[in-house]
Amino acid sequence: MTGRLRAAVGVVSTRAVAGAVAMRVAAVLLGAGCLVWAALPTVHRGYAGLALTLAIAGVAAGGLRLALAAVPVPSDSYWPSPGVRAWRTFLDVVRQVPWEEGAVIGIAWLEVQHPSRPWHTAVLGAGLIAYLLIVHLAESDAPLAALRPQARVLGLGAALLALGAGAGMLPAAGPGAGSALLRLVAAGALIAAAGLVLPYVARRRPQD
Amino acid sequence: MIPNRPGSSAATELELRWRSSRHARRLLTLGLAGLFFAFLARRPEFAGLAAPALLLLAAGRGRRRPPRITVRAKPTTRRAFEGERLAVDVALHIIGDGTGESSVRWRLHPGLEIAPVGATAADGRQARFVITPERWGRRQIGTLEVTLRDRWRLAEGHASMALPGIDCYPAPARQRTTVVLRRLPNRLGEHPARTSGEGIEFSGVREYVPGDRQRSINWAASTRRGRLQVNTFAAERSQDVVLLVDSTSDVGEPGSSALDLALRGAGAAARAYLEARDRVGVITYQWGGASWLAPALGRRQVYRIIDSMLSSDAGYARGASFARLPRAALPPGALVVVFSPLLDQRFVEALRDMRERGFSMLVVDVLNTEPPARRRPEDRMARRLWRMEQEAIRFSLRELGVPIVHWDGEESLDLPLAAHTRRPMAARR
Repeated sequence: MTGRLRAAVGVVSTRAVAGAVAMRVAAVLLGAGCLVWAALPTVHRGYAGLALTLAIAGVAAGGLRLALAAVPVPSDSYWPSPGVRAWRTFLDVVRQVPWEEGAVIGIAWLEVQHPSRPWHTAVLGAGLIAYLLIVHLAESDAPLAALRPQARVLGLGAALLALGAGAGMLPAAGPGAGSALLRLVAAGALIAAAGLVLPYVARRRPQD
Repeated sequence: MIPNRPGSSAATELELRWRSSRHARRLLTLGLAGLFFAFLARRPEFAGLAAPALLLLAAGRGRRRPPRITVRAKPTTRRAFEGERLAVDVALHIIGDGTGESSVRWRLHPGLEIAPVGATAADGRQARFVITPERWGRRQIGTLEVTLRDRWRLAEGHASMALPGIDCYPAPARQRTTVVLRRLPNRLGEHPARTSGEGIEFSGVREYVPGDRQRSINWAASTRRGRLQVNTFAAERSQDVVLLVDSTSDVGEPGSSALDLALRGAGAAARAYLEARDRVGVITYQWGGASWLAPALGRRQVYRIIDSMLSSDAGYARGASFARLPRAALPPGALVVVFSPLLDQRFVEALRDMRERGFSMLVVDVLNTEPPARRRPEDRMARRLWRMEQEAIRFSLRELGVPIVHWDGEESLDLPLAAHTRRPMAARR
């Protein structure tokens, strides 16, 4: 067999194991960091308690899912013991439920409960996108270099994130709800414009 | 390692089922949640929060994805002994566009009684998985799952294929010595016979008769007796050995059950007798009948014998009758070595019938388990009755002149057979 061969033979190298563990730990820390960033200072309105619970459960169970990713499901047998059945059900629940989606919704909901703080929200947005990217790398055992083709798009996204925060800081033209809506429409138009520019930004370079 | 060609590597074309990845669904959730909260709270910074996720999704939209792939899976061998390691090399070729943009991930789901050695997942267009079959039989290596991810990791193409099967041979036990009959057929071999001939084992001295070779003259004896004396040697003969494997009862722990031990013992015996230049055949007794392989010589016969034992398929029918077996399967004067737990009454009756027809037999008892011990008096009584019945079966066979030795599967077969390998075995008529 020629060419680049990644053998799955024998002992997995310590470096690979350390890399996988580091990626999982980074995912959990990023999730927890976003959660704390959005939750503080604590608020007690608009089902904030429920959102906090949802976010904590999502981050914790998502971390558990990543930690148990390599654990094999017990093989089928005609009459499995209650312990084996419970373990199989537990693994199914941990692996099938979209925990990270729940965590993202909970964290964004917590952020909404606070008064407007645009740069704080922008940092949270960067943290959330990093959290989702690291979770994906951890679950697919891919290296960080797998994100290299997306670097330009992520750069454009970061610029839009900053513009959105800037738009949030602009003083309203008038006291009515219409002026807030106007700012929102402006931000939406910005995203749409970025989408139109995107094919030129994300064009594949020859060396990719 | 069994001498064998590597397994064939026919390419299999697979259709990919593309769907959005979990990563894409998570990005979509973040984007939609950001937009929803932006409109709900009239705060444009949340639209900015949604922007990177939506841009990533938009960038990966509409890419061409290969509809089909070709997978080539090649095991290093199609035959292996229990516990032996073998590798499966897999390679992928993408049919259609987008060949340079996809990342490939393999995942092996091992089949029954197949244990992976090392990781069961690998990345790249080519990969190697190492496995070890744990128990004899015709085994499926397992299922191979291939996942292709596009450049933006937003879509995943899945396909799976069944890997080819392998023949797992029972790990042979240790046996170096052989049981030799006292009366051997008139065929050249390596066992010293009682008749004199052209062998190398000294058997005696007799007076010279015209025609004797000069080099066989024993000068010391000739000087002592005053007449020419010549050395005589034992003739060297071979024997026919028929291994009789009872596959009607498989009791005991899987991996060391009666049938496991019978197959391992038969494999060891076949090897030992074939190394002694004997002709060895096998008869596998089962519910569906008896399958057989006529005695023959040569190293390949070991694998033919094991193949014959593995291919015997147990069904549910009336027991086999050895009277119907052809002469080639059970030659007259052959030594019959039986591997059986002696649990099936019909098999025991068949052994008695064979003994009465004059075959020289030796039974290796491979029963190493008993009914479970329970407290109730009825259970204890049943256990005692079972033991007495077993003793009676063995006693009746011994009375017929069939020696029985017990083998636990751990020690070398030479130990239980020692009493019969030291001197030629007499066949009582």
